Amino acid sequence: MTTVTMPQLGETVVEGTITKWLKQEGDHVDQDEPLFEISTDKVDTEVPSPAAGTLTKILVQEGQTVSVKTPIAEINGAGAAAGGAAGAGESAGAGAPPDSAREPAEPVAATPPPAEPQPQAGPGSAPAPAAPAAAAPPPAAAPPPAAAPAQRAAPAPAAAAPAAPLPDRGARSQIISPLVRRLAEENGVDLSQVIGTGTGGRITKNDVLAFAVSRETAAPEERPAAEPAAPAPAAIPTPQLAPAPAVAGGGEEVVPMTVVRKAIAEHMARSLQVSARAWNMVEVDMEKIARIRTSAKGAFTAREGFNLTYMPFLARAVVDALLAHPLVNSELRGEEIVVKHYVNLGIAVSYDQGLIVPVVKGADGMNLIGLARAINDLATRARAHQLKPDEVHGGTFTITNPGPFGSILSVPIINQPQTGILAFDAVVKRPVVIDDAIAVRHMVYVSMSWDHRVIDGAEASQFLARIKENMETWDWTEDLGL
Amino acid sequence: MPRPGWLVRPPEPVPYADANEAMHDLARRRLTGEIPDTLVLLEHPPVYTAGRRWKPEHIVWNEERIRAAGAELHFIDRGGSLTFHGPGQLVGYPIVDIGTKPDAIGYVRSLEEVVIRAAADVGVELHRNQVQTGVWSGERKVCAIGVRLMRARITLHGFALNCTTDLSWYDAIVPCGLADEGVASLSQLAGRDISVADMTLPVLRHFERVFGLELESRADETDSFALPTVQASATIA
Repeated sequence: MTTVTMPQLGETVVEGTITKWLKQEGDHVDQDEPLFEISTDKVDTEVPSPAAGTLTKILVQEGQTVSVKTPIAEINGAGAAAGGAAGAGESAGAGAPPDSAREPAEPVAATPPPAEPQPQAGPGSAPAPAAPAAAAPPPAAAPPPAAAPAQRAAPAPAAAAPAAPLPDRGARSQIISPLVRRLAEENGVDLSQVIGTGTGGRITKNDVLAFAVSRETAAPEERPAAEPAAPAPAAIPTPQLAPAPAVAGGGEEVVPMTVVRKAIAEHMARSLQVSARAWNMVEVDMEKIARIRTSAKGAFTAREGFNLTYMPFLARAVVDALLAHPLVNSELRGEEIVVKHYVNLGIAVSYDQGLIVPVVKGADGMNLIGLARAINDLATRARAHQLKPDEVHGGTFTITNPGPFGSILSVPIINQPQTGILAFDAVVKRPVVIDDAIAVRHMVYVSMSWDHRVIDGAEASQFLARIKENMETWDWTEDLGL
Repeated sequence: MPRPGWLVRPPEPVPYADANEAMHDLARRRLTGEIPDTLVLLEHPPVYTAGRRWKPEHIVWNEERIRAAGAELHFIDRGGSLTFHGPGQLVGYPIVDIGTKPDAIGYVRSLEEVVIRAAADVGVELHRNQVQTGVWSGERKVCAIGVRLMRARITLHGFALNCTTDLSWYDAIVPCGLADEGVASLSQLAGRDISVADMTLPVLRHFERVFGLELESRADETDSFALPTVQASATIA
């Protein structure tokens, strides 16, 4: 087993923050493959794995800061692959960059002839890891040297763009600039046909353009002569090329995902993967709350400076139900359920960057007015990008409120690691049966997505029933100071 | 004996996305030993970049307003928070192998040294800040520095030195997340025009001295930094 420790990025550096794990527990990792990213002062770095094997344990989570040399992960099992990696790394030492930045090798000497497929593109020529592998592989397990480069050719260049691995171009394999790759794709040029004139036989932009022009000269009827350099329509597929950055076709637009968008995407997809989501709904008669809200509205706005919405009524009812059904207010950690007897209530807020969930801390200690103020304050500052980092962490349960956009029924995704998320949709007038008569009432669907690993339908239904009862029967006048 | 290195100096302002890709490409080649230590010197069209430590409150304008002003906004992989690049600013991206026992902080201090010496050459005295990275004049930052390491040893991103930069661009952001400090340019401090062209040679010369390099200009490598206009704009849209 290899213990991965926080590397020291300079003599004066005493600690580092893990900003991102690039592998999850259980993932296989190759030696020198980027394993995690850390941040110190103004420098961020990706850190390569010191060994090959399975990442068995992550000891320090993203966002945590630890001092240098602190163990942060464990990698298990050398195995055949690990042996090959370590063995090749040692034997390919001649092609590797020097250990010291102060005396790099002559670049010409370090570049192998283009005809050899080995160390140029593969990690065989990648730098030695910061911490050496714990155990040298048994020699018997190491594959013959000739086999190693092929096995190791794939992962190297993917470091900064894991989604777009370079295609294997066999003996002429080398790093192709993303721009050249894009240009080739847009012009329908097969890069394996292009002879590179750049350093070390590298294919340059001009090589691709020259190739495209020469091909057009050979088959002039395919293109209008007036525009020899016009790129081929992007719609023409070039399936022999590996997926490259998305290219916009006619009427399309390529929009890079923002950091927030990526975080939401990752969070939502992961939630569906790890939880057993089930869903229940109750219908709540809002007539009483609608009336009291109407009568209290004017005085409330004059006193508080913002409008009285349905949200604080709901939040107050939910807090009570959470305290009565604490399993809904819990978190699954490994094989233990951590039940929380306090409520930090997350409120999903949409803003120009996407969605953010500020947390009303200590919601179980607030009355209706307190909740109204806290929710208004957090929502306002969320939309103005003025939340502090600790205001979006530590929630025990989340409410989402798509009603203002007109939705009457939603199936939300659980905000991990919580157990439930409640959706409060639009309050609308519906005909309902009351004492065998049909009446028109303000009604709303209140529903919850919940994790069936932690609770069952009975608990979820009772929880929702409690909310319904609270909202329909409570006397709110005292809370509102009426 | 200085070691040989490369200088890549695109003649025209380079859109950020293209420069960012080309820089990572150079770093991958540096990692394999295909190329020597390389300094890229260029200018960008107006662009705001947000490093890993950006927070929503550091963006004063919203994205629409930034785009309406003719600038781009990119979220990128370097350290630090928000900064601005644009006309009149000399941007340096050193692609340097700092070894298997990298001294990242020492590297940042070396970049600061390069800029301090280069500014002294044109008669502007700058200094470090005890707490914050970058090169300063009093409480105002003249040169922002943000760095990322590839595989914990190859440097990416770098420094941005305000020469004749229109400083009103900084109204859109809280530079580097520091609310209390301002920004300045060399021209403003000197009371005369000190252009990007004026600073290119001093920066180049001191970079060579501080890092022990002798840089060979590689016009062929500027290739990667400039696509035909059609493709470049299509990817930014």
